[in-house]
Amino acid sequence: MSFLHNYIYYIGAFGLIFIGLFIILVKHNLIKVIIGISILETGVNLFLIAVGYISKGTAPIFSKPGINANQMVDPVPQALVLTAIVIGVAVLAMALSLAIRLYKHYGTLDLRKIKEQRW
Amino acid sequence: MGELSLLSNGVNPVLLVVVPLALAFAVPLIGFVSKKIIKYIPVVAFLFNLIVALLLIPSVLKQPIVVKIGGFAPPFCINLVAGPIGILFSALIALAGLLVSIYALNYIREGPQEKYHILYLLLLTGATGVVLTGDIFNLFVFFEILCISSYALVAYLGNKAGIESSIKYLIQGSVGSSLLLLGIGLLYGQFGTLNMADIANQIHSASSPSIFVPMVLMITGLGVEAAIFPLNAWLPDAHSSAPSSISAILSGIAIEVGLYAVIRVLFTIFDASNFLMFFVFLGVLTLLIGEMCAFSQKNIKRMLAYSSIGQIGLIVFAFSIANTYGVTGGFFQLISHTLGKGLLFLAAGYMIYRSGSMDISTFEGMGKRMPLTSLFFTVGAFSIVGLPPFIGFPSKFMIVRAALSTGELLFTILIGIVLLGTVIEGAYFFRVVQVIYFKKGNGNPERKKAPISGLISMFIFVILILVIGVYPNLITKILNSAASELLNRIDYIRSVLG
Repeated sequence: MSFLHNYIYYIGAFGLIFIGLFIILVKHNLIKVIIGISILETGVNLFLIAVGYISKGTAPIFSKPGINANQMVDPVPQALVLTAIVIGVAVLAMALSLAIRLYKHYGTLDLRKIKEQRW
Repeated sequence: MGELSLLSNGVNPVLLVVVPLALAFAVPLIGFVSKKIIKYIPVVAFLFNLIVALLLIPSVLKQPIVVKIGGFAPPFCINLVAGPIGILFSALIALAGLLVSIYALNYIREGPQEKYHILYLLLLTGATGVVLTGDIFNLFVFFEILCISSYALVAYLGNKAGIESSIKYLIQGSVGSSLLLLGIGLLYGQFGTLNMADIANQIHSASSPSIFVPMVLMITGLGVEAAIFPLNAWLPDAHSSAPSSISAILSGIAIEVGLYAVIRVLFTIFDASNFLMFFVFLGVLTLLIGEMCAFSQKNIKRMLAYSSIGQIGLIVFAFSIANTYGVTGGFFQLISHTLGKGLLFLAAGYMIYRSGSMDISTFEGMGKRMPLTSLFFTVGAFSIVGLPPFIGFPSKFMIVRAALSTGELLFTILIGIVLLGTVIEGAYFFRVVQVIYFKKGNGNPERKKAPISGLISMFIFVILILVIGVYPNLITKILNSAASELLNRIDYIRSVLG
């Protein structure tokens, strides 16, 4: 059980990443593919947080006396994830607005039927 | 000269990123004052960038400029490294940005023009940021700025093809970005730093499987934007459905910035000389597939897009030879591709506009209808194929020389295959030139010129292609220092970490 306890965040993160990739590769509905991208990004974000996380750690602020630096979580990955979330929102908004326009043109979101561009 | 050097000491490379970024967000505000001056903002921004980059070249050739943002010493802050490569690329981006924005003054007439200019500025800001940054997460952020604005610009016309290509590009691009971020996370977990020089300094202390995984993830992620063979399905759609001015930038700047990121990660961060053989084959494969697909196209813009894939393959091949000639030739070919393909897309833009179709067969008699534009297209085509006296000749020649200078049989065979690719390239470009000049159009041979701003920008491209083609020594100094920056990673690490 200690393995699970130590690595649960990594397992969760890679689980989300593989679920996201699976959805992107297998599903034909554009909205589902966009959801897959979102899940993939969430997995990556969770992974980044897990890299800097310490069990029972606190925020890196010297608020209470007697806290050592090794009891604090690493703030850098959190800053990275904050940025990555904002980027993810931008991509998601872009993707959904494109999906709306695509639906207006084709009347469907099924990617198998949207095939005007070919090799 | 004394005054000039004084000036260049005062110029900060951070201006190259900040000025276009600030102007991009100033566009809507300036739009309140006057809608007419909006389209001149990109021209001003990239003229400024070009001057700054050219002023920085002399001092950068002596010593790379490291900008410490926030005033912390390099491993702890986000830093910009304006070395020879960074300045070479930012000058190239500013040059192409300037010429294409002059072209766009008259070309972009429909759609939300204000948004076009904002996104155009952001795209090139992202590109400049990627080539200048010395921090790997910052590279990701700038890369995303580049990618998101190019997704939006591909869909700019809002037609069926544009929206469909844009969504394809977005799906593949965002999966690529996620893989890149995952690789960055793995590297941070091992080394506890995001500074590229600092990671490069410690990379040999880690075990090889634990750096192999982040390397594969990062190269795959960046390879989507760089259009290396198995990851380039988005490119022909996106480049052919975007407005022609954007196709020129996507083909001339965006994929090359992606390629810059790939070689920076490979050479500087991971020092992956063991894996270069893999990239040699990948480059040749990309080249052959690109050229063969281009050969079978009837749509002019798709043909040019596939030709870009072929050129990227050639550049990957040149860099993977990894001797001085090869890397110098790779940078030279990058410049020659930006100028040649930029010119081709811009010329094709007005030819499509006149003929009303992207089909090559509708260009019959174009040599009579648009003599200047046809001439410019021909110059671009000859340069890409590699005929003297255009810039494509010295750059391809340098790559051939690099492959032969290794003295290995394998490289001699591979360069033979590369030259075969060039023959295919020649075949499809000459076919278009033949259609333009030697077939009589059945329509009325009405002479119509492209607008003067378009002609000026294409003319400057032609001048550059000819001048550098005849005097390649003009840029050899900066190419050589760029090559030595890429090959001597210890010097790079030392100049950043001090």
